[in-house]
Amino acid sequence: MAHTKLDTVTKVFTEDDGSEIIAVDEVSIDIDDGEFLVLVGPSGCGKSTTLRMIAGLESITSGTISLDDRVINNIPAKDRDIAMVFQSYALYPHMTVRENMSFGLEESTDMGDDEIRTRVEETAEMMGIERLLERKPGELSGGQQQRVALGRSIVRDPAVFLMDEPLSNLDAKLRSSMRTELQRIQDELGVTTVYVTHDQTEAMTMGDRIAILDGGVLQQVATPLECYHRPENQFVAGFIGDPSMNFFDMRLEGERLAGEGFEYPLSSDITGKLDDSPVVLGIRPEDIELIDGTGGDHEYAAEVLVVEPMGNENNVHLRIGDTRFIATVNGMRRITEGETVTIRLPEKAIHVFDRETGEALHNRRLDEELAEPPV
Amino acid sequence: MSERSVSVGDETSDETTTAFDLRRIGLYATMLGLVVFYLLPIESGLVTSIKTSEALINTQPFAPPGPAGVTLEKWQFAFDTLWSGMINSMLFTIPATLLCAVLGSMAAYGLTLVDWRGQVAVFALFIAGIFIPYQAVIVPLTQFWSQYAMLEMRLGLLLSARSATLLELIITHTAYGIPICTLLFRSQYKTMSWEMIEAARLDGATVWRIYKRIVLPLSIPMFAVVFIFQFTQIWNEFLFSLTIIGSVSDPAASATLILSGLGEALEGVDYPLRMAGAFITALPTLVVYLLFADEFAEGVEV
Repeated sequence: MAHTKLDTVTKVFTEDDGSEIIAVDEVSIDIDDGEFLVLVGPSGCGKSTTLRMIAGLESITSGTISLDDRVINNIPAKDRDIAMVFQSYALYPHMTVRENMSFGLEESTDMGDDEIRTRVEETAEMMGIERLLERKPGELSGGQQQRVALGRSIVRDPAVFLMDEPLSNLDAKLRSSMRTELQRIQDELGVTTVYVTHDQTEAMTMGDRIAILDGGVLQQVATPLECYHRPENQFVAGFIGDPSMNFFDMRLEGERLAGEGFEYPLSSDITGKLDDSPVVLGIRPEDIELIDGTGGDHEYAAEVLVVEPMGNENNVHLRIGDTRFIATVNGMRRITEGETVTIRLPEKAIHVFDRETGEALHNRRLDEELAEPPV
Repeated sequence: MSERSVSVGDETSDETTTAFDLRRIGLYATMLGLVVFYLLPIESGLVTSIKTSEALINTQPFAPPGPAGVTLEKWQFAFDTLWSGMINSMLFTIPATLLCAVLGSMAAYGLTLVDWRGQVAVFALFIAGIFIPYQAVIVPLTQFWSQYAMLEMRLGLLLSARSATLLELIITHTAYGIPICTLLFRSQYKTMSWEMIEAARLDGATVWRIYKRIVLPLSIPMFAVVFIFQFTQIWNEFLFSLTIIGSVSDPAASATLILSGLGEALEGVDYPLRMAGAFITALPTLVVYLLFADEFAEGVEV
């Protein structure tokens, strides 16, 4: 267990033709002891490279990574006391599950055979794979291999767990049950964990905090709800949440935002934060209300394009003029394609971003009990 | 298919069946031709090797001799003559094959699954090694052994002249075999999961331990391929034997070297003897194929 710190960590790859690619750009994250941190971002955002640098599989171009105040930049991977779960599981195919799990203990500790045996069996029991110990990876299902891969890293009792999209090869149902199980195990062991994924649902549900990366640059590190409700910029707002936040290009004109097809009146406490540069109005699909009647300040007539029933709710694709957006409404409500409905975009739920920099100028208001103390 | 007048569809499918049958016949005919093509020389060799001189003159090369024309005398003689050569060949072929395989595998591991600068340049040297023609190295090679290395003189106290020559052959064949073995192993190691190697590194294993515990056990099928290939190559090799050993009467003379002179005489070539000799010399390679057949098949699949 360890407090892990990344300080302005940068990774530059030099291509064969001499050109340089900045994969990770001055990323600083403080990971608390026992914390479950999720690194999330679209593919190619540098999240895996960051993880590999922590593991010692990739050199660090500049900046430092430290474990409990000990800089580990130049410590080889094998001496870092870090365990990693790979996307492909990376099990040793010629060894039985028992041998796979013993390997790390045999190589990195001077434990006796009996002690190794006991530890492997304890861990196997915890992972529910005690009956598979004498089988080889080729004879196991994907889910079982996944458990073995996890067990192999758990048995070593490392200072830090690294996981590189460990659930992405599982089918949807297994994935969600493994998600819960992984959290349970991490909770039980209390080991600092860094988990890489491109799936924002995994990030939201699993992480104590999530770190969002884009183009090698850290966008925000915060609790899942903080990222959801108080995104620091438009990228985070759009990345977290499914379906993602609706964005409308607008411009401040006096007391209102004017965009294509509609105008949005603002109260003075929001206009005070804005100047006349172009902005983006953001609102989450579930905050859009379908109402009866029309005429209010933030109410508009919109045409229904497509309805996607999800059972508990409907994703309704709407259009005002040429502007398309999505609203999530109660699944029991009947809406037909082609009809015109009245929607309300409540002012307390809107976000405003600078169109140039993407920076959040205004985030939604939260009711007191929902609001979290600032981190 | 019986009511063929009913529909057009049936007729066309019938046509394709006929065409298909013709193709099948063609295929089998070709295969039969190939079987004859490959087996006839072997059969002719076998029957020739058991013929008496008279039967040899009186029968066609591929026809078996009559009961009176059969003799095992030539086999006996060939075996007696080749025996010492076979031992010598074994003595340098087996160690050289093992060394080639082990060193080739290690080199391939170092060039593929370990990350360091200048790998490509070193690998290019290995590749170049494959393409150096034997003929080009014969003269420098003999000079090297006879004028510079002079094993016999330097290690005279430890080794007999025969052992010194055999050692020279082992080293020469190993050096010459490493590049191709490296290439073969590398082709397999490149398909090995890089994440698995990284997992082993994170598990605390050193470069050497990863090789020993992960890479080596996983390359056993490739070892079978390399064993068969390299054993055949070295066993059948003639040019190095000719230049390094030199004479058929040398105590270190290899099987191929003795075979080259077998059955040659002023009164003409003794074909039955040559055939018997050829079969005896080919026997070990056949045994190696049979021993490693399963692993070989697995290795070729990779």
